[in-house]
Amino acid sequence: MQETAELIRSSRFRAEREADWRRLEALVARAERGGVHGMDFADARDLAELYRQAATSLAVAREISLDRALLDYLEALTARAYLSVYAPQERIGGLLRRFLAVSAPAAMRRAWPFLLAGFLTMTLGALAGWALYGEDPSWYSVFVPTGLADGRGPGSSAAELRAALYAPGEGGGLAAFATYLFSHNTRIAIFVFGLGVFACAPALALTFYNGLVLGAFVALHVDRGLGWDVFGWLSVHGVTELSAICIACAGGLQLGAAVLFPGARSRAEALRLAGRDAAKLALVAALMLVVAALLEGFARQLVQDLGLRLAVGWGAGALWLAWILAAGRRAA
Amino acid sequence: MSGDPDILMPPEGVPLRFPVAGVGVRIGAQIADILITGFAALAAILLLAATDAVDGRWLGGIAAALFLFVRVPYYVLGELAWNGQTLGKKMMKIKVVAHDGGPLTTHALVLRNLMKEAEVFLPATLVLTLDADHLLSSLAALAWTVGAVLVVVMNKRRRRLGDLMAGTYVIHLPDPLLASDLSARAAPRPGGAQGFGFLSHQLEHYGAFELQTLERVLRVEEQPARDAAERARRDEVLAAIVERIRARIDHADPIPQAAHLAFLRAFYTAQRAHLEQKRMLGETRADKFHRGPGT
Repeated sequence: MQETAELIRSSRFRAEREADWRRLEALVARAERGGVHGMDFADARDLAELYRQAATSLAVAREISLDRALLDYLEALTARAYLSVYAPQERIGGLLRRFLAVSAPAAMRRAWPFLLAGFLTMTLGALAGWALYGEDPSWYSVFVPTGLADGRGPGSSAAELRAALYAPGEGGGLAAFATYLFSHNTRIAIFVFGLGVFACAPALALTFYNGLVLGAFVALHVDRGLGWDVFGWLSVHGVTELSAICIACAGGLQLGAAVLFPGARSRAEALRLAGRDAAKLALVAALMLVVAALLEGFARQLVQDLGLRLAVGWGAGALWLAWILAAGRRAA
Repeated sequence: MSGDPDILMPPEGVPLRFPVAGVGVRIGAQIADILITGFAALAAILLLAATDAVDGRWLGGIAAALFLFVRVPYYVLGELAWNGQTLGKKMMKIKVVAHDGGPLTTHALVLRNLMKEAEVFLPATLVLTLDADHLLSSLAALAWTVGAVLVVVMNKRRRRLGDLMAGTYVIHLPDPLLASDLSARAAPRPGGAQGFGFLSHQLEHYGAFELQTLERVLRVEEQPARDAAERARRDEVLAAIVERIRARIDHADPIPQAAHLAFLRAFYTAQRAHLEQKRMLGETRADKFHRGPGT
């Protein structure tokens, strides 16, 4: 290499800074492998500082240099460094705590109109299902999918229905939990949330339909004089599970509302803003479905007494409500 | 969003170029992820079953929990821990970045992967289960799938719905490789032993485009030729370029074949110094047609 004085201007520019760029390259490689958490203070500080220097160099080089290789290198180096410097720095444990303690309940409180709409839709569906069953019991087989009905239908006697309600689940608690995880209601919740984006209507329709199933199912049992028993049977997990579906519906509605009524924003922007709370609602719904699965898997088989069933189910419901209403008020 | 979809504006205000990852490479990464996680979960279950480590009754539950984990949670946790990359994305060298140039937020990663369930997994399973007997539901499934694909194809940054909501998109990771400085090897030494001198009117003919084309040719010369045939071909190219340049700039002396490379290097350096000097004075020349600024 010649002496600096002999080089043309852009080569001098490069020669003066090349060592810094190489160091930045090494730091970026380390940050990408082990994360910035694993670096000591001096290195982390240098990473940020050298990144800013490289960004400046890039801006200058674009003006003064015609060396394609140099421009490409600086462009790529700055881009890689940018990705390392702006990597998410939070640890997963801290994220979970903040979600549970502050952000999730706050999002639920903000979304109360949508939650109300979700619960109302489900209730309306249930009332409609009830009324239709009262008119003609054959509606039952229209609404209730055979897999869910477990062979229970308008043809079943009261004794059969009672046996199903108090059956000691076969195969033990965890097996029931396992089969449950993938079952009907989890899928419904996912559908309801995802469908909301397509302008609300599908989410509402699915929630309404879910209410119809519920209404017809309860009506069948009331018809056989098992009203309180089915209430207890459903309460154990249903309070948590049906609420989860309503919450997923509310999340979907929030997205759909952003698509339908974006206001002064563009639709993409409105969708992005609505997504902030809707995602939290979906996570809360997912959490509740897992709890519901545990309740269904264990509690429903273990607790056979009607009063206790009611206490467990509605107790869980009251805990959810308390969490949503009270948690994180001070921090938020 | 304005203009070039490849340009991302970080908070420092120096626009950076990130090539947007296309649909193909993203589907590739998705398939890789599904295979990796699927086989890992399967292997874990088989291991547990083979070693009788847990009671058979628990096995079903563990399997269910594992297969639930490799759906949304794996993608969220992976992208959180590896800064926007899952294992599949690492293999394909692509990465999620925030659309506005800011840092990736947890919220964005959760949201884009929650939507993956409705947008990627569901259409994928629906397409696999298309059934002519259930015409109505098949048509609905098809419409949904087409819709999900259309969203991606219709925007410049190839964002799916989840990306739109989360404010993210997927890029190719740029690879920083610094090649040597060509001008440093042959600084202009007019009158030197092997030096070539150029007068400033001889350097008025070409612009940045021609300069960078010449740079590419000279980069090839950095590597030794693989065999005699390639050497001969390269010499032919060099000779042709030297003749064209000589004719254009009225360089009277013939250049012996051995000095072709040295001549081109000297010309490259002189031309670059000249153009860069002009640029400093506010006269940017993109190519030999004198088109003005541009790169």
